[in-house]
Amino acid sequence: MLDPRRLGTEALEHAERCDMCREFLAHALELEAQIESALRTPVPHGLQERVVRNAISAPRVSRRHALAAGLALAAAGGVALLWKRDDPLALAGIDFVVFKEAQSILDAKPADPEVLLRAAVQIGIALPAQLGEVRYVGTCPFAGSTAHHVVLKTAFGKATLLLLLDRPLGSRLVASARGLEAAISPAPRGSVVIVADSSRSIARIESILMSG
Amino acid sequence: MLFRGRQAIFEQAVNRYFGDLYRYAYWLCRNRWQAEDVVQESLARAWRAWPALREERALKSWLFTIVRREHLRAVSRTPRPEGDEDVAEQGYDPDPACALDLEDALRGLPEDSREALLLQVLGGFSCAEIASLLGASEGAVMTRLTRARQAVRRHLGATDGEKGIKQA
Repeated sequence: MLDPRRLGTEALEHAERCDMCREFLAHALELEAQIESALRTPVPHGLQERVVRNAISAPRVSRRHALAAGLALAAAGGVALLWKRDDPLALAGIDFVVFKEAQSILDAKPADPEVLLRAAVQIGIALPAQLGEVRYVGTCPFAGSTAHHVVLKTAFGKATLLLLLDRPLGSRLVASARGLEAAISPAPRGSVVIVADSSRSIARIESILMSG
Repeated sequence: MLFRGRQAIFEQAVNRYFGDLYRYAYWLCRNRWQAEDVVQESLARAWRAWPALREERALKSWLFTIVRREHLRAVSRTPRPEGDEDVAEQGYDPDPACALDLEDALRGLPEDSREALLLQVLGGFSCAEIASLLGASEGAVMTRLTRARQAVRRHLGATDGEKGIKQA
């Protein structure tokens, strides 16, 4: 049966006369209601406003303007200095979130939150409750080493942290790509990759992490 | 002023369908985070292409098509193994066990059957409209819908086979 809610007149009239078919139809309609109820997953709070706002505020650049801007930048020279934002390791953090994070979560074994807490202490950062809700904790390969992988739901949206115990950094690295921002912040004994959808989110998370 | 008017019309149009667009993306991706990304990118594309939309009555199918294509683009970047399922949100249900069984049944549907069912139930599209959206024949869509419901029923251990009643 295609859709019990859309039966033709003939079928409905038959169901009125035939007890077995009427009962079958009742069960089919009940199942249909259950299917619809199951499919009507709640929309996350605030998502609609955020998505519509971001969709409209994303830069609208015509191809002609984009080409002109690109040429101007290339001709200016020294433009490489401007692209400090696209540090390769920070870009790798964005690529991880976009291309690998979902699969990494699927492949990972259940993680012990205590391991994460010990890693945070070892690196020298804090993980207070004001960071947000921890949605996932695990480990994953990242840039040739093993990172402690955390997915957070913060007040500013989703954020991913990769704690790198064996990657001390001299300075902060940043990148911006695929609609995401990334920063790698030096910590006392390692570094932390933070990927979120805005620089503001990253700044807020950094200040909390380093507050310990 | 003109721009503000167009923005308001876009927002109004999107707000009308946003819930079902998100749910469509959610059940395609079977992952909340990916669904959010798909919907975000889809609406950004829709906004950029908004001036090209000629018929307002085609708006719903246009938006669903954009979401579908964005999902396919996302999948082509990160292919998923068959039968793969992500950690997912569970909606409130007074009978959690039944809801979980049903969600398992829906997640386990073959992709083409699930997609047709989503478009019919969430989008309210007719078989002809679904066929146009999916680039399939109407007969193929009807088959997918029938199989989807049969598969759900089987999974839930409901009545075997079809009895008696004829579809007009």
